[in-house]
Amino acid sequence: MTTARVLGLAVCLASIPAFALEQGEARINGFGTLGVTHLGGEDDGRGYGISGQTNDSWRGDQLSKFGAQLTYGVTDTVGLTLQSTAKAYGDEWKANLEWAYLSWQSTDNLMLRFGRLRTPVYMYSESIDVGFAYPWLRLPDEVYSQVQLSNYEGADLVYNLPLSYGTVSFQLAGGQARNRDYYLYDDEFDIDYSKVFGASVSLATNDFGTLRIGYAEADIETDISGSFIDVFGNPSSASLLSLDKDKGKFTSIGYQYDNGTWLSANEWTSRVIENDGSGSTDSFYLMGGRRFGEFLTHVTYAQLDEDDGRQSSWTFGLNYNLMPTVVLKGEYKRVDTSGGYDGVFVRGSQELYNNTANARTGGLLGVPARNYDGDIISAGIDFVF
Amino acid sequence: MKHSIRILLAAASLGAAALAHAEVAVIVNPGASAAPSQADVANIFLGKNKSLKGVDQAAWNPTKEKFYAGVASKTESQLKSYWSGLVFTGKGQPLPSVAGDADVIAKVAAEADAIGYVDAAAVNDSVKVLFTLP
Repeated sequence: MTTARVLGLAVCLASIPAFALEQGEARINGFGTLGVTHLGGEDDGRGYGISGQTNDSWRGDQLSKFGAQLTYGVTDTVGLTLQSTAKAYGDEWKANLEWAYLSWQSTDNLMLRFGRLRTPVYMYSESIDVGFAYPWLRLPDEVYSQVQLSNYEGADLVYNLPLSYGTVSFQLAGGQARNRDYYLYDDEFDIDYSKVFGASVSLATNDFGTLRIGYAEADIETDISGSFIDVFGNPSSASLLSLDKDKGKFTSIGYQYDNGTWLSANEWTSRVIENDGSGSTDSFYLMGGRRFGEFLTHVTYAQLDEDDGRQSSWTFGLNYNLMPTVVLKGEYKRVDTSGGYDGVFVRGSQELYNNTANARTGGLLGVPARNYDGDIISAGIDFVF
Repeated sequence: MKHSIRILLAAASLGAAALAHAEVAVIVNPGASAAPSQADVANIFLGKNKSLKGVDQAAWNPTKEKFYAGVASKTESQLKSYWSGLVFTGKGQPLPSVAGDADVIAKVAAEADAIGYVDAAAVNDSVKVLFTLP
């Protein structure tokens, strides 16, 4: 009797015309990176990166991260997706709920999603933690350090249109992100994003690569201050950046190509924050690579320009596919700044004060701003399951 | 260990290809009215075109390798990378798969809107061949 029921269930499952996830079906997928990175050639303890974890000791917490995703079919067209990650910020590991949404596949081509979603700003935004999905261990910092917001609460719409030579996809997103963390001048601040809006169009061709154009904006509210010892030796503090629902705008144009042997990934971005006292921040990277069997070699040039100056870097990488779902990666990156600009290097509020005092007094007091440079070596392993 | 098995499998598949010169047949239900082009088939198996239900082969075998190389210019690791890019962005799930040519043929024969690919030598009258990949 029991056997018959089990058989009946098995037959029933086998005969369901499965396409998307069926009602009651659940899938669990995971991804992760285990990697170490080291900055050489700078001052002792000098940090590099959004929260400065890349420095002169070999550290595993900048690159290493883990994620798990559960997808569940609530009905044949409504699905629930949860994705959580474990990542380190500053000197602390944190668990984050990155995705938590209900999706509704309303037609074969149109999907609507509601809940907590990834902010679609960069070309690799939505798979930013899945190192397996891109060739580098470190995404080019010049571009990928500019928007620290990784998710928002709201809704989006994804429309796919199949064409004879590929697919074109449109995405519209809207929502808000309150009480997020923002890292600047070696410190952590609260930041609120309201009226988050994003739109992108992506043309994926079968033979000529994928072109993506994206735009995102939000009203930003934050108050960033720094404390320091002033030129008279007294402890003091000052507001460094105060935004009161000022609009931040981010544009990204990306192009990827991969024919199995040769590959290329390129992105150009521009960021403008109204009333932040500076002009636009422009950046880009150009990457070319070639596969040799299970090996991949790649080279990247990246550049970041602000009013203050420029950061530029060359990255050379070698990857090896250990298994179809596991890749070993090694990277060497040479970074230089010019114009007395800190770029992605972390400058503390005391240094910033010293540099500013020097500039304001015509070199009489403080310390002149200088350029930064370093050699970053990274090695690690990316996997998915 | 795993690696040496893969090398052996690769060697075996090369050997088999040299001996039999096995073609891959893309098959649909005999009652199917649509006749998708090779580009349409690529989009169906990459999850972008939902006009037909793609039936994938579960294990990475010479037929699967030839099919994805032929229609989508993708190797196994590139295909895995492609799907991880969709799965973890919530934009797609890999197609349902069955084990081996016989099961693909049975499923395509049973469902009017199913499409699959098998070793051309395994094709029988219960399905219609759309095209073959040399």
